[in-house]
Amino acid sequence: MGFRISVDTGGTFTDVVAGGDGREVVGKAPTTPDRIFVGMQGALENAAEQLDLSLPALLGETDLLIYGTTRATNAIVQGAVAKTAFLVTAGFPDILVLKEGGKHGVHDFETDYPDPYIPQAHTFEIDERIDSEGGVVTPLDREQARAALGLVEKRGFEAVAVCLLWAVANSAHEQALAALIEEVLPGVPYTLSHRLIPIVREYRRASATAIDASLKPLMQAHLQGMEDDLRAAGCKGEILVSTSVGGCMHVDELVERPIHTVKSGPAMAPVAALAYSQMEGFGDDVIVCDTGGTTFDVGLVRDGAVKQTRETWIGGLWTGHILAISSVDVRSIGAGGGSIAWIDPGGLLRVGPRSAGAVPGPACYGAGGTEPTVTDAALLLGYLDPDYFLGGRLALDEGAARHAVGALADRLGKSLDDGAHAIMSLANELMIKAIQDITVTEGFNPQECTLVAGGGAAGLGVMAIAGELGCDRVILPRTAAVLSACGMQVSDVIHEHSASMVTRSAGFDFEGVNAVLESIDAELERFAATLGERGLETMRIERFVEARYLFQVWELDVALPVERFETERDVAALVERFHATHEQVFAVRDPDSILECLNWKGRVSVGLDAAARPPSIAGAGGPPEPDSRRPAYFGGGARVDTPIYLGRNLSPGAAIEGPAIIEEPTTTIVVDPGTRTWLSEAGNFILEAR
Amino acid sequence: MTSPEPAPGTLDPVLLSVLSNRLDGIVREMSNTLLKAARSAVIAVARDFSCAICTGDNELLATAEGLPVHIFGSHLQTRAMTDLHDDLAEGDAFLHNDPYLGNTHPADHAVLVPVFIDGEHLFTACAKGHQADIGNSIPTTYHAAAKDVYEEGSLIFPCVRVQRGYEMVDDVIRMCRRRIRVPEQWYGDFLAELGAARIAERRLKELCAKYGKETIKTFIREWFDYSERRMVQAIKELPKAEVEAEGAHDPFEPFLPDGIPIKVQLRIDPDEGRVTIDLRDNIDCLDCGLNESEACAINNVVAGLFNCLGPEIPHNGGSFRRVDVLLRDGCVVGRPSFPHSTSMATTNVADRLVNITHSAMARLGDGYGLAEGGSAMGSGGAVISGPDFRRGGDPYINQLMMLVNGGPAGPKADGWVTYVLPVVSGLMYRDSIELAEVKHPMLFKTVRLMPGTGGAGRHRGGPACEVVYGPREDPMTVVIPSDCQVNPARGAQGGHDGAPAIQYRVGANGDETLLPNVVQLALQPGEMIRGFDAGGGGYGDPMERDPERVRMDVARGWETPERAREVYGVVLTGDRETDSLVVDREATEALRGATS
Repeated sequence: MGFRISVDTGGTFTDVVAGGDGREVVGKAPTTPDRIFVGMQGALENAAEQLDLSLPALLGETDLLIYGTTRATNAIVQGAVAKTAFLVTAGFPDILVLKEGGKHGVHDFETDYPDPYIPQAHTFEIDERIDSEGGVVTPLDREQARAALGLVEKRGFEAVAVCLLWAVANSAHEQALAALIEEVLPGVPYTLSHRLIPIVREYRRASATAIDASLKPLMQAHLQGMEDDLRAAGCKGEILVSTSVGGCMHVDELVERPIHTVKSGPAMAPVAALAYSQMEGFGDDVIVCDTGGTTFDVGLVRDGAVKQTRETWIGGLWTGHILAISSVDVRSIGAGGGSIAWIDPGGLLRVGPRSAGAVPGPACYGAGGTEPTVTDAALLLGYLDPDYFLGGRLALDEGAARHAVGALADRLGKSLDDGAHAIMSLANELMIKAIQDITVTEGFNPQECTLVAGGGAAGLGVMAIAGELGCDRVILPRTAAVLSACGMQVSDVIHEHSASMVTRSAGFDFEGVNAVLESIDAELERFAATLGERGLETMRIERFVEARYLFQVWELDVALPVERFETERDVAALVERFHATHEQVFAVRDPDSILECLNWKGRVSVGLDAAARPPSIAGAGGPPEPDSRRPAYFGGGARVDTPIYLGRNLSPGAAIEGPAIIEEPTTTIVVDPGTRTWLSEAGNFILEAR
Repeated sequence: MTSPEPAPGTLDPVLLSVLSNRLDGIVREMSNTLLKAARSAVIAVARDFSCAICTGDNELLATAEGLPVHIFGSHLQTRAMTDLHDDLAEGDAFLHNDPYLGNTHPADHAVLVPVFIDGEHLFTACAKGHQADIGNSIPTTYHAAAKDVYEEGSLIFPCVRVQRGYEMVDDVIRMCRRRIRVPEQWYGDFLAELGAARIAERRLKELCAKYGKETIKTFIREWFDYSERRMVQAIKELPKAEVEAEGAHDPFEPFLPDGIPIKVQLRIDPDEGRVTIDLRDNIDCLDCGLNESEACAINNVVAGLFNCLGPEIPHNGGSFRRVDVLLRDGCVVGRPSFPHSTSMATTNVADRLVNITHSAMARLGDGYGLAEGGSAMGSGGAVISGPDFRRGGDPYINQLMMLVNGGPAGPKADGWVTYVLPVVSGLMYRDSIELAEVKHPMLFKTVRLMPGTGGAGRHRGGPACEVVYGPREDPMTVVIPSDCQVNPARGAQGGHDGAPAIQYRVGANGDETLLPNVVQLALQPGEMIRGFDAGGGGYGDPMERDPERVRMDVARGWETPERAREVYGVVLTGDRETDSLVVDREATEALRGATS
């Protein structure tokens, strides 16, 4: 097999990881938002150079290129999407305004209500109505609809989102509107709610539909342009784009539903983390955290399946815009190196949610920041080398950090060291809380997981966090800063497909369910076949159903016990699985209740026949010699003379007892006293919190 | 890294933060469990429930994001548990909905689980949810006309044991199943509440095992002290004053032709860091369901006060130490006298108490307090019931949660839109139209925000909403106990009142009949109810509103160009349809100059 390339286009930098032939390199170049291929080409050339290849040669030998982009997410956040008309059933123009209610802070009267995703003046009411069984209450008024579309045309809308009530029960009116749109507005992209996301609950469907339609002009040009440019540059392999479920789709599918690229960046982290955990023989239950300068992202893999949710919001829970499609459950909190420490009116130390950001940045950046941040604390504690931050690219100002943290420590009546240590501890606490929210709160024990840490600031607190959560196994890849892109080199390619079919455990519709499963399998196999031609031959299909007790409102995902349902015993097995899941998550089961099944989902994982690497043995390389020493503070009143190791000088098997600090060009690992780290054969740091 | 247990009163401040986070996390886990496992729309969709943890000696400790109307007072219920049961044991659970023993109103079923650490009763976990039905004499959990508890007819559980040794006491469950409408729905919700409380028990035990019981006890003391300090700080920023504010619940024919006058007296003493709220100068209990329970009389004025102190103050036994609420026995907003009904203690008069209290604070001067919020529990908040033709005539019953009611404007922001009610303050979720229609045989015709309904002001009150629906093939009973048609949400500091509520019965031929606040209807197929809930009050002079905000309101369709000119003195050119609205600065200045 030839090369596999993963491209990660962020807001600032484009990272390229190219692997194959036993080699793996990382290329980097600034992102060029106007024409994405320019930046990508720069990064690809950078990678090709390291492989002693020309760009056409590298692309010519590439079997698979996976492209990830934050373009869609950024466009939504910045409001830089298409001018989109929202067509909705007459009488209900405020679906996107009212959302599903909810507010942060019951006593908060200092916040204005957020504006809807599509402005009210861009909303068009269409005379029609369907009921919950799909019956037509009011037939579609074609003349009225045509007149509305005439206005859409006249006012220069660039996209149309259509979400009618109960289109999931009867799609005739949405279909008829589609025909009218193609007639009145030829060439203008549109999205129909029942096609994009056939779920009950109008706000969720409307929000997804609005987001999808608004992204179409932009993402169609973006993705097709990227593919054309890659082809022109000589890429003959399969080109896939990463999606919000941590999977991959072809460009021609994604231009029809670009919403699936939203939040695809963080979605790849759990997929990568699972690959790292399996590589080290640490199992299929993984917590992945990504610590950057301003945000901390957490995701979860359970039994080898990445935790997904239909409740991802862009711009904040309740007040932002719900994505509503199934997407990888990544919780983000405002905590990172830039988080500001402060003292509240009751005298309690707090960290965040305000951040010094990149500008002015922490006080120690010397760019005008005066408030103490987590990075300032880490510097004062001796965890960061002022001359080796970001591999020496930014010299840190210790005096400024001392000034900022010192003022705060004085108010707390603490020494400078204890003040800085308190800031680190509280920052860790925020991250612990975020991890508990996605694990404990959902009935999952973090002690049974491997923790995989990524992001530039990952190594500062991960030992303390793992210790508090009780995670015994922690992996910090050397290339933690580009966790997702590197992970894609070794992880399976995943593709999902789902379909709605409502049935109950009593009077189970065997024929209907099996037909749906049949169609899902066919789609998954079709996708897998395209990769089979590229040397990816192992294929694993998993099937799930979203189900709930009758009268319950929220669904749980349950893996199907069988490929097809043949007998009542198969149904009973499914029901028993649901009871067990319900009890695990909600602490109760209701054995007499009927089960209602709503949405059926299949997932195919396509991969290489992984020749499992032999696990490396700790200490095989003997205790290494430190490159230098400096005093660092780990609590307890006195500084400790701490050995410093440069990652590039460590060989596999090297074991390091805490206290110690390991410096890599893009990350620093703090090995707390009483803990231990070693470098695995695969090039990952294995941390033992003990 | 473990640290030695600190001496009492010397908890490391970092550990104080950490433990408060952990407790908060436990309450959020309870809430997540209850929301996701419940059956009725009112709990599982609208989130009409709250979870809390009290201390073993009955102080409110942690609430996360519960509704104040539910939560402030949980400690009265746990006190009933410790007073009544001298044989509390691990594995116990209690059902408590008795408003004469510390509960809010009978529709709120609270599940209480005493949590034992090494044999010591250190916490009580409380999960309280508004039930879809409680077996009342009429199919609603809000019986406005109930002369007394006998006419109200709800099944009352005065802190009754429902689990012993983690096993269900089936007698009690059978009582509920026999009497409560759609018993499977009730039982599912009950199980969800029990599950939430049991999860808290499990987590609290883990917390104590990890940090040590003595550390946790020290934490509790210090956390209360910290919360008290925050409260003192906030009160010290207020001017020293005594203010008195009056308001009234609308007339309710034929029982209350003059409505219910309500007076709240506030004494703010920044020197002492105390606030006293006096409700004693109010009328006696009424022979209807609108009396406050003790818990509700307290928690609604305290909520009104907290509304004016910023979002950051912890709400627990510590901050409560700085508030004295003075109540009178036998008073409509005090301690009720048996057998008066408190069926509606969590809304209506309760909403008025929140409103009057936080708008009284606005009398301290510009920059303080809030306007009043809309408080109509009309068509969008009705309890609907009847047979469902799609399920062989099976009965259904549920409270809709399709209310908007504009939120109050304040010194810093416009009124919140999905405010729901003053006692809810935007915290609850809304029903989905589609879920409501699939769960109940009904059809909505309209859910639409109305222009010009938010009270004008420097900050504008939230707009009101029109909600129209009716049954499909079977008659539907609709029970509405509303308010705010006569006395709308009042503005503050020169802000205007919000639009009052209105509701109509719409006949099959389209004729509309005006309806009073409190009605019970049997809508026939083809008939509908059309309701407008209430706009929120404005804050400050509308002529001082930022013209750009007025322009945005017109663009949103929440204000009209005419009102922009007449009420706000803002002249706009262009139109919203073509995104071309612009403020005509000169004309606006001239108009505002001429009117001032």
